[in-house]
Amino acid sequence: MISIMKKNKILTFSLLTYVVLYFTMPEISSRAISQSTYYIKEMFMIMPIVLIISALIETWVPRETIIKTFGKKSGLKGPIFSFLLGSLSAGPIYAAFPVCTTLYKKGAKVSNIVIILSSWAVIKVPMLINEYRFLGGDFMLYRWIFTVVAIIALAFIMEKVIIKGELPVKQDISKENEKTLKVDCNLCVDCSLCAKECPSYFHMEDGCAKVKKDILNLEEVNLVSKAIKKCPVNAISAD
Amino acid sequence: MDIFTLGLWVIAIVLLIISLIKDKNKTFGSLKKAKSMMGGMAGSIFGILLLIGLILAFIPPSYIESVLGSANEVMGTFIGAIIGAITLIPAFVAFPLAGSFVDAGASLVTAAAFVTTLTMVGFVTFPLEKEQFGAKFAFWRNALSFVFAIIIALGMGLVL
Repeated sequence: MISIMKKNKILTFSLLTYVVLYFTMPEISSRAISQSTYYIKEMFMIMPIVLIISALIETWVPRETIIKTFGKKSGLKGPIFSFLLGSLSAGPIYAAFPVCTTLYKKGAKVSNIVIILSSWAVIKVPMLINEYRFLGGDFMLYRWIFTVVAIIALAFIMEKVIIKGELPVKQDISKENEKTLKVDCNLCVDCSLCAKECPSYFHMEDGCAKVKKDILNLEEVNLVSKAIKKCPVNAISAD
Repeated sequence: MDIFTLGLWVIAIVLLIISLIKDKNKTFGSLKKAKSMMGGMAGSIFGILLLIGLILAFIPPSYIESVLGSANEVMGTFIGAIIGAITLIPAFVAFPLAGSFVDAGASLVTAAAFVTTLTMVGFVTFPLEKEQFGAKFAFWRNALSFVFAIIIALGMGLVL
């Protein structure tokens, strides 16, 4: 209960305030509810579209292929690819960091990295739908145009400010001696062989094996490798 | 429901059907992924939507208009940009939040500054960015983004 409340701080805060208001200032609370209801209704009208469009992008935009061919692109294609990659990707901006690191190692220019990061953050396609709904079509369109121009300018300046090779892209030294232990619950058939083989690393919960410890050193990887091999559906991975 | 939203619904559903015909499993897989992503955000989405009601019930529109309205555009833009830079809420709920303030009398320029810095400048994600790309890159990208967000907002003021 407390962990749920901690995870949803804003929701908990709002609900508690509503409860307090309901008893102390009922007319304000009913005004607040009617205001919120309007926005919740609006959200329900647009949310399924955003969800479907995000899922379709995820299904049909071959992000891996874009990343693979990226390093070789030069001239105008680089920036255009960067804009597409950024605006068609899902997830928050910190999800873009590892993608950018990979591309930078492959020789992508600083300006293209900046374009990916910025367009990933600001001009994502599903978000544009949401922006249209709540702030209007003109607002969405003009802000999009201005933002694209600004991102190009930003990328140009960053290219001048940051000298190639200056980015201290981390080589993930820590990761070489560490593996992440995972169980894919879509594959797990709840046979509990892993938990019997290595009870200190796996336990069974809700029809799926759960790991007790997820970051392993090399020694531990050797220990759990037996369990990994025993798994009948290859649901366990350590990499 | 207005005609544009209706159009979006039709487009989304038609594309979804085409996608299902072409590859049922893959489409269902990504729908599931999208659903769980939304599920993870549902708490903060509802939290913010409920908060909007509270804010609007407590702060009279006349006050919002006087501080963030068009009479006070430069000031409002800076306030919007700074609040956007330091808060971390999903961009998804930033739009209804900004929309509610505009409905209550805040200027569109302020809303543009808020939405742009909220997404482009990451005060909270700065340490992470610094770790990945170094302090110089993170500092310049965020600082320049902040400046550009204000330019974008002021540009919006000229055309809208």
